[in-house]
Amino acid sequence: MHNRVRELRTALGWSQADLGEKLDVSRQTVNAVETGKYDPSLPLAFKIARLFALPIESIFAPEE
Amino acid sequence: MRIPGRQAMAMRAVHKRYLREFFPAMFAYVVLLFLSVGWLKTLEGTPARAIVTLLPTLPVAFVIRAMVRVIRDQDEFERRIDLEAIAMAGGIGGFGFFTFGMLLHAHVVGAPPAEAVATWVLPVLMGLFGITKCAVRWHYRGDA
Repeated sequence: MHNRVRELRTALGWSQADLGEKLDVSRQTVNAVETGKYDPSLPLAFKIARLFALPIESIFAPEE
Repeated sequence: MRIPGRQAMAMRAVHKRYLREFFPAMFAYVVLLFLSVGWLKTLEGTPARAIVTLLPTLPVAFVIRAMVRVIRDQDEFERRIDLEAIAMAGGIGGFGFFTFGMLLHAHVVGAPPAEAVATWVLPVLMGLFGITKCAVRWHYRGDA
């Protein structure tokens, strides 16, 4: 899955650790999501969408 | 005051709790192991010897409990890494012991005492878990 998490995070000036703290996950988890190594569960994806105040489909999109 | 990089390195509460549970249990294991070995030299009677022999296994059960608790309470990606590593370690360990058993059956290798084989199962699985966890973490590493 493609995602815009890194783009959205850096636009707000947050580090991976900052985002991890806000989502209650590790920095390693944020990194794995950003690099596409790990697709988050639905609850975590919704948490990310809520944090950035965006619809989930504008952050995550399936690979074509 | 915020120290750059400090947060990234800070250990999460769930892992601090794991270490708080793991190290005292391992310390208790070592103490009880020495106590048990010394005590067994002078002890007679099967029930008493069984109880004293099994004393060091009690803290080992607490180590396993700590591992289960940390796996349950860490985040979903950390849990995935641990569960993949445990699956691999179990598979490799089981395959290793199975292969060794086949070689023993065929008398290709010399038979070690049964008690040695039995007591090595858990340490082998734990050691393999450590190795496979490193491999799985490496597999999921990102270009941070």
